[in-house]
Amino acid sequence: MNWDRSFVRKISYLVAIVLLLLLLVLLGQPATTAVGDRPGSRGGLLAQIRANEGICEAQFGEIDPTSETIQLATLGMRGVAANILWDRAMEYKMKKDWTNLSAALRQIAMLEPHFIQVWRFQGWNLSYNVSVEFDDYRERYRWVIRGIDYLMDGIRYNQKEPMLFSDVGWFISHKIGIADEWKQFRRLFKQDDDFFRRINDTRAIDERDNWLVGYDWFGKGETLVDEGADMRRVSPTLFYSRGPMCLMSYAEALEKDGVFEEKARIAWRNAAIRWHEFGERAFPSGKPDDLIQLNEKERLLEEAARRAEELEKLAPKMRETIYQERRAQLTDAERSALDTPPEQRRTVEVNKAAYEAEMKMLITHEQVARRVTGPNVEKAMQAALEATRLTERANLVAQLRGVIAFEAWRRRAWMEQLPETLAARKFIYQGDEAIAKGDLVRAKETFDKGFQQWRLVLDRKEWVKQWPDIKTDHTLARELVEAIQRYRHVLEKRDERFPSNFVLQDILTLNPELDEKPSSKPSLPPPGLPGETPGKAGK
Amino acid sequence: MPIEKPLPPLLEWLPLALLVWLGVVVALTAAAVGVGCLVAVLRRGPSEGFRLTRRTLAALWTDLVFLSPRRVAALAWLAVKESVRRRVVVVFAVFIVLLSFAGWFLDVGSIDPARLYLGFVLTATTYLVLLLVLFLSVFSLPADIRSRTLHTIVTKPVRASEIVLGRIVGFTIVGTGLLGLMSVVSFVFVLRGLDHVHKLSADSLVAASGPAGGKTGYTEYYPSIDPDKDEVTKRHHRHRVTVDAKGEARVEIERGHWHAVRRVAGETGDTYTLGGPEGLLIARVPVYGKLRFRNEVGADTERGINVGDEWMYRSFIAGGSQAAAVWTFQDITERKFGQGLPLEMNIEVFRTYKGDIEKGVFGSLALRNPRTGLTVEVDIFESKDFVISRLFIPREIKRFSSARMVSRKIDHQEGPEYIPPRDALDHSLADRKEFDLFQDLVSDGEVEIWLQCLEPSQYFGASQSDLYLRAGDAYFAVNFFKGYLGIWFQMVLVIGFGVMFSTFLSGPVAMLATTGALVGGFFRERMIELATGQAIGGGPFEALVRLVNQDNLTVELEAGLKTYLVQIADRVAGAPLWVFAMILPPFSEFSYSNWVAYGFDILWTPYVTVPLLRTLAFLVPVFVAGYFFLKTREVAR
Repeated sequence: MNWDRSFVRKISYLVAIVLLLLLLVLLGQPATTAVGDRPGSRGGLLAQIRANEGICEAQFGEIDPTSETIQLATLGMRGVAANILWDRAMEYKMKKDWTNLSAALRQIAMLEPHFIQVWRFQGWNLSYNVSVEFDDYRERYRWVIRGIDYLMDGIRYNQKEPMLFSDVGWFISHKIGIADEWKQFRRLFKQDDDFFRRINDTRAIDERDNWLVGYDWFGKGETLVDEGADMRRVSPTLFYSRGPMCLMSYAEALEKDGVFEEKARIAWRNAAIRWHEFGERAFPSGKPDDLIQLNEKERLLEEAARRAEELEKLAPKMRETIYQERRAQLTDAERSALDTPPEQRRTVEVNKAAYEAEMKMLITHEQVARRVTGPNVEKAMQAALEATRLTERANLVAQLRGVIAFEAWRRRAWMEQLPETLAARKFIYQGDEAIAKGDLVRAKETFDKGFQQWRLVLDRKEWVKQWPDIKTDHTLARELVEAIQRYRHVLEKRDERFPSNFVLQDILTLNPELDEKPSSKPSLPPPGLPGETPGKAGK
Repeated sequence: MPIEKPLPPLLEWLPLALLVWLGVVVALTAAAVGVGCLVAVLRRGPSEGFRLTRRTLAALWTDLVFLSPRRVAALAWLAVKESVRRRVVVVFAVFIVLLSFAGWFLDVGSIDPARLYLGFVLTATTYLVLLLVLFLSVFSLPADIRSRTLHTIVTKPVRASEIVLGRIVGFTIVGTGLLGLMSVVSFVFVLRGLDHVHKLSADSLVAASGPAGGKTGYTEYYPSIDPDKDEVTKRHHRHRVTVDAKGEARVEIERGHWHAVRRVAGETGDTYTLGGPEGLLIARVPVYGKLRFRNEVGADTERGINVGDEWMYRSFIAGGSQAAAVWTFQDITERKFGQGLPLEMNIEVFRTYKGDIEKGVFGSLALRNPRTGLTVEVDIFESKDFVISRLFIPREIKRFSSARMVSRKIDHQEGPEYIPPRDALDHSLADRKEFDLFQDLVSDGEVEIWLQCLEPSQYFGASQSDLYLRAGDAYFAVNFFKGYLGIWFQMVLVIGFGVMFSTFLSGPVAMLATTGALVGGFFRERMIELATGQAIGGGPFEALVRLVNQDNLTVELEAGLKTYLVQIADRVAGAPLWVFAMILPPFSEFSYSNWVAYGFDILWTPYVTVPLLRTLAFLVPVFVAGYFFLKTREVAR
């Protein structure tokens, strides 16, 4: 009896095991690809779900046997192992043990090859935080490249991750292009045959500019996003602006390197074209299924103005009537405050009264349309609503533009292509070079020519409409004032007086806050480094 | 190589260490005897209790002093046989499997592959061997007791102390054998893993720019096993090669090594053959000095400036001032350094302004006679951090930048003291065209080396082990095997603790206890920090308060009675933790992996002798405790 029960139990177990194994096969059978005549299979249920959801290892990127082995060897404890290694990596960094830090980072990445933040954080750590621990700029450069290599390893495992491509683009362009050691870094980057060989980039040495290479990597990230990859909560405007901005920076860098005329003009032209294309790209407006373009602001405003004009025709002088009515309803204090020019409103009370009055005097298109009577009521209301909608949309575009200084860069890209601007920059550069060599006579001559050319640029009639505040534009004015200060210093050295009828006097007058006292020391470039402003380094 | 806790010379360390050890042993013994006596008195009355205590102490004396080496050897042999029966060879097999696949995980593209390979083999061996002896030592006695094998042994004329010692010795023999095998296999693995060859083709050389002429180019790397395939070229390194106008080639250092070049003249021109990697596996013999600092106004200080580094290992000196890092070397004799002083230095640079990026920060090295005050500036150098710079100071110093007389200034409350006194300085000593190292700068075998930063507002950072005299090079192979001594010390201690716990605990519990001792030993420093209130965020009670309040570690707790009570509670809880931490062996301090990996000879004294004595110091009480616990068990009586 006992034997029978025991036998039955064993047989039951066996059957259960076989059934469970069958279920396991059904669920977990891996997918196979066709080899020769043998057809491939879609695999078990889990493999099919993985394939449909795009979360197969092979769909992320390369499958690395080393990484897979390490993950298996940790017996499901890879999260714990990665945490311990992370802690160690932080300690190695603190103790400046670079060999073990690199090894620990590699092991973490192998344990968690699809944890994108690991690649991004530690790539940044190597390029930005570890590199500055070294005093020798060559070593710093090596570590910047190590961070980039680390990100590229991440791309091998995650070929559809746009942020890794974007980060590579950012490191190559910005870390190399605007670090304290940008001159040295850009030089080393051009000469870095190993790096270009590693990334299979066969471009000529002349074209090995970090900004151009960075631009290409941003482009790869953009392509992935266009194909449907996730941008990881980065603002689309910012994400797509990085590539075109690289071309702007490339053109700037050419001029800092002393390259002007046609090559610089073409660089600015390309940047302007790419910026325009960027402006044509449709971005989500924030409303469901609504897209807007950065370039459409002017068109929207024109259309809004046209509709407002239509409304004015349907309700002639109505806006003025409403204005007078409301003005009559204001208190004496409010009326008086409203009539006081803003710069003369000296007390809090006056400002407050003026603000309240202005609010009361705001007249919307809809308010005007409501006053219309007769057969044009509907038409007027339509025009009013359309004008309001278009204006609101234009404001939205303006907000997006503001995030990336869209208009400023568009104007600049256009301005920099002008022959006068290129000539002006070339003369100022030559002036700085002459200062570095101690040739003050030539410095003065070239500065004079440069300022003459700037005068021509500033006096162009296009600005009246396109850039009315060009003379007080902070970036341009600061650049000009700094050049004037260097010029002033040259004059001081030559015991010459600063000309009373200086050709760019209006720039100094309009921007007094940017101009230091003549006796203070201007930021002269150090000998041998024209165009570079000395700065402080943390390390 | 960072040595965070430099050991004092053996003779300086030994008297105090011995005294402390004897004090602790006497105190523990007295406490154990006192408690035992009290328990006996309470259970059996005063006269019987005291008699029993006296008898136990007499038996202890006999059992410990009259140990029979023959019986211990026989019991040890039994332990060896038992270990072999329990298939310890499996661990060796695991080790071989680990090494077979290690090449996958070790990045040959690392900045210092030798350090990586050596660190790996030493760490892997440590973990495997400690794990093995942990299992061997804790399950042996309990298994014997359970299977009643021990009953057979104790019926023989064998002392309990011999049983405990026999196990310890037996397992040590097994562990030593295994460790020896592992070290040999690891050595071969490292040699093979790092060996590689480069090819230098004439096509890869181009005419060098500059007046010297010659050619320059890069070597190409191929794995030594298959020089025809160049697939891996992208993933490895290459060396810059310069060939001078005479055709002599030189390979520059890359990833910590270089290659010797052999020039072969041929009809169509010279060809070059490169040898294996050099400089990867070395064992520098360092002579360390004692470091002190000098502040900006020239007075002695214990430490320099902190420039904000989280790691306080290095102290910094301000440039363009009187600040200096001063190493005092002793026992500098003509016999040892007859030709001069071979100096090596690895300093850190900190800039407060960018300065000239293309150049390093300038600094100087000077020798000073501590007795006369004669200071000769022998070198002005351009800094390069995280790199070992070499300088040879010849015996006859003919080239120097300055010579002057400098007194050492020590600030006291009553005023500064100058050594030698400033009015006793003989300034004529500095008015010389050349100096002899031993006649002018070394006094009684003592000389000072001064490091100064010459650029104002820039800083140099240094620690004691950052500047040393390279007395020569030892054999790397010997140093490599010395590295295994550290693992051996750890292994013996784990065996000791394992056997001791297994005398009175069951196997699994003994394993937990030994693992606890091992882990506690590795985190001993952290425990001491917690116990002494040095840990950031306070002890366990303060941490609990912070958890509840969601305060971070650095926020000051609100002053008041609550905080006061919490801190008092932490102090009370810290006392037993401190005692516990102090009786645990500092396992991490027995590791030599950094010495081997960084290419430094492990100095016999104090770096081998002191850990050896510390191992013995822990082992003796552990053995006595093991004996005592076994003796108290019914089976051993």
